[in-house]
Amino acid sequence: MSVVITVGMADFKTAKMPDILLTAGLGSCIGICLHDPFLKVGGMAHIMLPTASGSLGGNPAKYADTALELLIKEITSMGANKSRLKAKMAGGAQMFSFPGKPPVLKIGDRNAEAVGQELKKHGIPLLASDVGGSFGRTIHFDVGSGELRIRTINHGEKVV
Amino acid sequence: MKITQFQLDALREIANIGSGHAATALSTLLQRRIDMSVPEVWAVPFEQVSSIVGQLDTPQAVIYVKVEGEAPGKAVFFFPVESAEIVVQALFGTEEPMDIYMGEMAQSALKEVGNILVSSFIIALTQFSGIPLQPSVPALAVDMIGASLDGIFLEEGVLDDTVLFIDTQLTGIPKIEGQFIFLPDDGSLKKLLGAMGV
Repeated sequence: MSVVITVGMADFKTAKMPDILLTAGLGSCIGICLHDPFLKVGGMAHIMLPTASGSLGGNPAKYADTALELLIKEITSMGANKSRLKAKMAGGAQMFSFPGKPPVLKIGDRNAEAVGQELKKHGIPLLASDVGGSFGRTIHFDVGSGELRIRTINHGEKVV
Repeated sequence: MKITQFQLDALREIANIGSGHAATALSTLLQRRIDMSVPEVWAVPFEQVSSIVGQLDTPQAVIYVKVEGEAPGKAVFFFPVESAEIVVQALFGTEEPMDIYMGEMAQSALKEVGNILVSSFIIALTQFSGIPLQPSVPALAVDMIGASLDGIFLEEGVLDDTVLFIDTQLTGIPKIEGQFIFLPDDGSLKKLLGAMGV
């Protein structure tokens, strides 16, 4: 029996096959999923902002850089090998736009960029990325197969 | 800033007046009775917002208005989709289903409802505090509530460990539910409270 484990906002969880990790209602936030295909373990973080710099003492799972570090540490402590880790991500939308007022900094895009950079820094390949747009996403990550299912309200459902 | 109990009470009083005006406006618009809860003032980490709005991927119609002026902030009004449909039908005087996800008519009607609600809230706030405030044009999303709220709260790319916001529930007879959130920007709270001498 597989268990569905919910990852809250600014939260992260790890799991073993056959369990599923879920995070609901991603807007500009991003769900980062890591997976060791050999050991069939994985983890998910629901990050809200690109970097923890300048906001010391806060919850590290809130930021792309510190959350990824935490996630890697936690998964490798379960026996996973960092060099085998693969990543997928979803989210990073721009939910609202005001006519005549282009947003100066799209936080969703910045989040996606930060996650990409941090993954590169750690040498973890990004196998799939479903980011951007102006709609929310709920994601299910199967840590056994590494399949990421992305559900939306009005933009269909897909598996990457 | 640290908020004292006295200041919290003052904020609740502002919210009470503002939300009362908004509820009256909605009631007039829809020609039906609207009840309003006693506003709550929350100072919580944003990540705990699900304890206030429920399931993060429930679809809701969210109308977002920026409050501009000397004490800027954000005002957000949201309805569960079923309520939003009822509101739109009431406005158009029809029993036909209306597409609030894509339909242009339904969406502009929802924006207008949000506009009226938020404007009446802001007018009350301005009268009460003497601080001039203006609403922006409204923006609308009919989508997962968690996604819409994170888009609003994180828009500037910064987030304090706790966010302070004012929350009021509106209930219409029959079958309308809505929720109003006012989120003062950093510094605005001090101005609003200062203007009231607390």
